[in-house]
Amino acid sequence: MTYITGLAHEETITHDVLVVGAGLAGSWAAMTASQQGVRDIGVLSKLHPLRSHSGAAQGGIAAALNNVRPVADSGSRGPLEPVPPGDEPPDSWELHMFDTIKGSDWLGDQDAIELMVRQAPEIIYEYERMGCVFSRLADGRIAQRRFGGHSMPRANYAADYTGHVLLHTIHEQALKQGVTFYSEWYCMDLVVEDNVCRGLVALDVVSGKLHLMRAKAVVFATGGYGRAWKITSNATANTGDGVAIAYNAGVPLMDMEFVQFHPTGLYGKGILMSEACRGEGGYLRNKSGERFMERYAPDKMELAPRDLVSRSEQTEIEEGRGVGADGQGVFLDLTHLGAEKIMQRLPQVHELALDFTGVDIIEAPVPIQPTAHYSMGGIPTDARCQVLADAANTPVVGFYAAGECACVSVHGANRLGTNSLLDASVFGRQAGTAVAEFVLGGAPMQPVDGDPVARNKARIARYVNGRTAHNPQPVTPIAAELKETMTKNVGVFRQQARLQTALHTIKELQDRFADVQIMDKGARFNTDLLAALETEHLLTFSEVIVVSALARTESRGAHFRTDYNKRDDEKWLKHTLAHKDGPHAPRLSYKDVTIFYDRFPPQERKY
Amino acid sequence: MAKNGQTQNVTIRVQRFNPDVDAKPYLASYEIEATADTTLLDALEQIKATLDGSLTFRRSCRHAICGSCAMNVNGRNMLVCNRRVNALLDRRGRVTIRPLPYLPIIKDLVVDRTSFWEQYLRVKPWLIPPENGAAPAGEYRVLPAEVEALKMAETCIMCGACYSACQVVAMNKQYIGPHALLKAFLRVLDPRDAAPAERLEIVGGDDGVFRCHTIFNCIDACPKGLDPTFAIETLRKLAQKRLAFAAERVERQKSLGTGRDA
Ligand SMILES: Cc1cc2nc3c(=O)[nH]c(=O)nc-3n(C[C@H](O)[C@H](O)[C@H](O)COP(=O)(O)OP(=O)(O)OC[C@H]3O[C@@H](n4cnc5c(N)ncnc54)[C@H](O)[C@@H]3O)c2cc1C
Ligand code: SF4
Ligand code: FES
Repeated sequence: MTYITGLAHEETITHDVLVVGAGLAGSWAAMTASQQGVRDIGVLSKLHPLRSHSGAAQGGIAAALNNVRPVADSGSRGPLEPVPPGDEPPDSWELHMFDTIKGSDWLGDQDAIELMVRQAPEIIYEYERMGCVFSRLADGRIAQRRFGGHSMPRANYAADYTGHVLLHTIHEQALKQGVTFYSEWYCMDLVVEDNVCRGLVALDVVSGKLHLMRAKAVVFATGGYGRAWKITSNATANTGDGVAIAYNAGVPLMDMEFVQFHPTGLYGKGILMSEACRGEGGYLRNKSGERFMERYAPDKMELAPRDLVSRSEQTEIEEGRGVGADGQGVFLDLTHLGAEKIMQRLPQVHELALDFTGVDIIEAPVPIQPTAHYSMGGIPTDARCQVLADAANTPVVGFYAAGECACVSVHGANRLGTNSLLDASVFGRQAGTAVAEFVLGGAPMQPVDGDPVARNKARIARYVNGRTAHNPQPVTPIAAELKETMTKNVGVFRQQARLQTALHTIKELQDRFADVQIMDKGARFNTDLLAALETEHLLTFSEVIVVSALARTESRGAHFRTDYNKRDDEKWLKHTLAHKDGPHAPRLSYKDVTIFYDRFPPQERKY
Repeated sequence: MAKNGQTQNVTIRVQRFNPDVDAKPYLASYEIEATADTTLLDALEQIKATLDGSLTFRRSCRHAICGSCAMNVNGRNMLVCNRRVNALLDRRGRVTIRPLPYLPIIKDLVVDRTSFWEQYLRVKPWLIPPENGAAPAGEYRVLPAEVEALKMAETCIMCGACYSACQVVAMNKQYIGPHALLKAFLRVLDPRDAAPAERLEIVGGDDGVFRCHTIFNCIDACPKGLDPTFAIETLRKLAQKRLAFAAERVERQKSLGTGRDA
């Protein structure tokens, strides 16, 4: 039970298990491995664990608890009531499974989805028994609300700060288990040789020292990659380090073209206004006050899934019916909900709108726009979180991944709201169980050849001194131009020429990045250096995203091509794998989706 | 004052200090352009990107939920991500940003929160559930009113603004401090927690609630509108009837599996 920070000397550190990332996925992995008997566990996080982005999640975590049901015959947006004890349970894991598969546009792997939804109720109860304070019904059961794409009210929540309470709860339990946390340590390289993971190189941010960290098993739980876009709901830490580091170490990346744009980011800022706003009954309106969802999803209206709502907004905007200075927004209107409901169920959202735009949502609609939100793609794993090296499912021995950085894939082409806190929790726990079995089963500490620390010192020296004396490039403009092009050309709507423009820009920026020179030359808490490392990672995986998106000549879930606007199961019902090898990296290969054709065969996705 | 979209030149004064190079902290001045929407964090990012890349501060979520970015602005502790420059200009059109006071400086605006976390660990922040197998098949039944009472503590983001504004902490790093006492309050009041007596012993001890001088600095500083002083006062009362309270808890836990009304 300690936080280690600012070690005075460079050393080689060993643990049985190393977890990178202390959000929900990493904390579950560490806690579970410890409970199952692994004694020596280290968790690294580039932020203090409680600063992890899981804490920003607002709306809820999905599970068919059957505490609440829609009032009979009141439609898909009508009132909810508690399920009386003894009554027929209206919801089930099968329904949750179908909703998730449909949401994924049939690109989700059904074995992994089944595992997740079946474990969902138990995970919620475990959170609850560990002290998580959920909102409650009058009889003390956990309260539930509606969420987009879910056919039943199964979002379990704590007002609109659900992630915050989950994160604090699980972090405290990991502390209780005696896990060692390396707080503000930045993992910058992974050591994989002959398909066996041997450890990693970490920068102790406070002291600026580099350490070789060896372990029998490494778990990546480094979160998402939304920071490649200018308008994003993601924290500044969500720079996709884990996916880029894995890719650089020879691990392929899966389905990277699938990125979710959330329909309600604050206009111009991207800061999230929870989907709970619409779950609680909020409206979307265009310039002339019209509830435009009537035209796009007449039944589900505002509660259609995110990809569809974001595209509807973008269409309104592009056809000139947008609001805001540059017409790039639409209105989120909550005024009819009334002050009491807003302050009870959406207090954080109320404050955010007030702080960042000066709008009081009780009195006036607030301008919003689609915002880069969730990374469906990532490091390919099986349902036990074992990382896979290729389409034949060859394991990378000793390497596991879970949470948003991983691609199991339970979300396929589009994630449903509240399913990712569930994913991070369930698969974090799976990863903990898998590494415990691996380590307790006698896995050895693997030898490390060469000098990975020296390699990374050279990388840092290059940033500090610049490659050449002439033409040194600052980091920030490169990152800014990347984000600009990703938002403009790799957004809600995609098209060949625009994707090619983006690819061209990325290559140019990569060239410029070779001449980067940072301003801060010191060792101590060098955030200028971190920004350079993070920008290098952004440039690495953004290229993979664009190349994967260019190749996929169809529209599925969050990947919408205006030049190929239909789903094409014959050609594209398959996962993309992007490999860093050969002269023309990324090289793409493809992998079948796991589908139970007898139970959940592909259908048209209509809402 | 800048209207929407208009920019305005403002001066941001930042306390700089790198212990490896500087003999002591000093104030540096930066001129930047701000609009009505520019936050203090935006301003710091702008300085770092365009004027001095070595300027060092913590941040992550940008919307007041991760607790990274508490600093001292014009003499008051606050988060910099949710406050607009415009509203904080002094009469000469300047804002002055310093690190949280009374904590060792690692570099510039980054402080060493070691003692803060040590106190957090000291109160055993995790829930200690009942041992007697009261765990139900589903959830423990906790009533909405009981949840409501915890709200005030559960939304704490551990930013440290209160801790570093506290005069008692400034004098005595042994003091548990408002953040950790608030956490203790959360656990003590939680009907699912089985260790209220032990907890009340810790917080009722030499370094706990009776050290608080009720100066209310913590309330002024808290960016989430929380009231650590109320928590401290509640814990004082409960500490005085520690065993009776623990006995009530045992009673309450008998119906945890089913709910009172069920
Ligand atoms: C604003 C917002 C609201 C959301 N609301 C919901 C919701 O209501 N319901 C829902 O289901 N989902 C929601 N999501 C999504 C969900 O929060 C995330 O998908 C999930 O929390 C990811 O958890 P994680 O553990 O994988 O990663 P994170 O919580 O992001 O943790 C990543 C960890 O990795 C560490 N790390 C990263 N890189 C490095 C490195 N190089 N070295 C060392 N450490 C590193 C970080 O410090 C951090 O500890 C929301 C997302 C956002 C952005
Ligand atoms: S009580 Fe308020 S000021 Fe203190 S740590 Fe918590 S959120 Fe910050
Ligand atoms: S950046 Fe997270 S609280 Fe300010």
